Amino acid sequence: MTQSNAAIYELSTPLTMVVGSYGSGKTEISVNLAVATRMRGCRVSVADLDIVNPYFRCREAQVLMREHGVRVVIPPGAQQFADLPIVVPEIKGMLEPQEGVFSIFDVGGDEVGARLLSSFSEPLKGRPYRLLQVINSRRPFTSTLEGCIRMKEGLEESSRLKVGGFIVNSHLITDTTIEVVLEGFELAQKLSEETGVPIEFVTAMGELAQAPELAALPAPILPLRRVMLPPWLKDEPKDDSSDEKSNRMPAGRVKPLFVP
Amino acid sequence: MAKVLMKGNEAIGEAAIRAGCIHFFGYPITPQSEVPEYLAKRLPEVGGVFVQAESEVAASNMIYGAAGVGMRVLTTSSSPGISLMAEGVSYLAGAELPVVIVNIMRGGPGLGGILPSQGDYLQATKGMAHGDFDLIVLAPSSVQEAVDLTIRAFQLAEKYRNPVMVVGDGMIGQMMEPVDFPEVEVGPPLAADDWALTGCEGRSPRDVNSLFLDANDLHNHNVKLKDKFAVITENEQEWELYSCEGEYDVLVTSFGMMARICKTAIDVLAEEGIKVGLFRPITIKPYPYDACREAAQKAKRLLCVEMNMGQMIQDVQLATRGAKEIDFFGKAGGVIPSVEDVIQSVRETLAKTGK
Repeated sequence: MTQSNAAIYELSTPLTMVVGSYGSGKTEISVNLAVATRMRGCRVSVADLDIVNPYFRCREAQVLMREHGVRVVIPPGAQQFADLPIVVPEIKGMLEPQEGVFSIFDVGGDEVGARLLSSFSEPLKGRPYRLLQVINSRRPFTSTLEGCIRMKEGLEESSRLKVGGFIVNSHLITDTTIEVVLEGFELAQKLSEETGVPIEFVTAMGELAQAPELAALPAPILPLRRVMLPPWLKDEPKDDSSDEKSNRMPAGRVKPLFVP
Repeated sequence: MAKVLMKGNEAIGEAAIRAGCIHFFGYPITPQSEVPEYLAKRLPEVGGVFVQAESEVAASNMIYGAAGVGMRVLTTSSSPGISLMAEGVSYLAGAELPVVIVNIMRGGPGLGGILPSQGDYLQATKGMAHGDFDLIVLAPSSVQEAVDLTIRAFQLAEKYRNPVMVVGDGMIGQMMEPVDFPEVEVGPPLAADDWALTGCEGRSPRDVNSLFLDANDLHNHNVKLKDKFAVITENEQEWELYSCEGEYDVLVTSFGMMARICKTAIDVLAEEGIKVGLFRPITIKPYPYDACREAAQKAKRLLCVEMNMGQMIQDVQLATRGAKEIDFFGKAGGVIPSVEDVIQSVRETLAKTGK
């Protein structure tokens, strides 16, 4: 694969919270960002804070992330399969910045999912964090500037935190073209001008990350590998995990990421 | 219109709007809650009405009221919630009201779990509630098909004045796929029909009811419903054949998203030179018995694959009139059979044919 000249996004803040509308891609981004950060030799913890939707959460990629040395913080045992608002105590510890450790919160969808963060707004005062809003221009309710602003205001109101950056994640899964990515970037640029909040990075799945058009954008890139696979796609070779219970993929399967 | 990325649940909500339905009554339950969530946001934008009922029992009676006055109306739920609606569905069928009900199925019985299942096949197709009535039941296997069949559900409901149910497993509701919304020619408002309760000033009063105290009247009503479903059975069967051209020893029968997993398994086996056919009913009621029998003729043996404990087998038996051995493979409770699982069970069925 040829390397494009695009700058690759790297985490620099101890705590990153990924928010946005349902299905905007928070989990794919959180998992990919965690593994990529770990691959640069940093310590990474990911907390699955999706308490509103029981499907396609990053806990489904827990085996994969642990194999890469990422610490995964989720409710214990069968509780992880419940649609209950469980927040494990380790989360509080992750609010405290630690030297050389990056924490990522994969938050539930919409303002309902972000509400959970409001309980952290006091302890987070004066501490370094980034609240990043994911934008997919091909999703209902966030395909327009007005929709994105409304979503941002809703997220901020319910989380009692401020959005510090936008993640451009415009895609149609298998039908994504470079035009879709660029269209999302254009929308995010308008959003950025309107709100004064910068674009944090642009995602691109697979081969698209190599597109020269991306290298020309004034924002770093996070290349993505699709992690959450639907069950009708052909299985990849099985991993050796003997813990069948925790390896169970209730809503899809997980593909090996960054195969060495 | 440009493609959009939608969850099955959202897509079902949008498809209803495109089909001219701007009234929704329902109650949240995992894994279908995004339908009411989506419609709660969208319906005010199109001048519609969204009501979160106090329960599924209430919702099923609210759609009765809305349909009775000639409104296109939708309710959606998931397995336990659908069971609660059962009484209302019988009333809707008895009163011949053209409503659409969506069941995004989760694992049962009882409270069960919140993960995908196809465990309500028999409930939807055979025993939804008391009395002699039939629902038309459609089973999509992708988000796009969920859109198309939701639109179709409204058209069928209105054509026959019969409740239509769309059943999908939790995965169909939750997964995201790019979708296109077709241009739909929405028919005239139902309120213009000669049965809708629109105020009787200047005309004789009408009645939308399922109560017939006179035995002969009720008998005749039952015969009318039976005759109506005979016409539906004649006209409205839909199915898909996959890899059914040429010769095959094994025919897989499967519906909904499970059939999609079976297709991948069939493709993998084809690469090895093993030819397997797939019969997928799209209307699981009326069941396409003749089409299934025809597809089964070439096969030595059948394999029924479902996300339940074998609820569709009896329809496949009826279709083949007991002429073929039918094996079963399925998982329940939210465990989704993998492509490898299906390949393995096809191999086992194949071995029994002597191949």
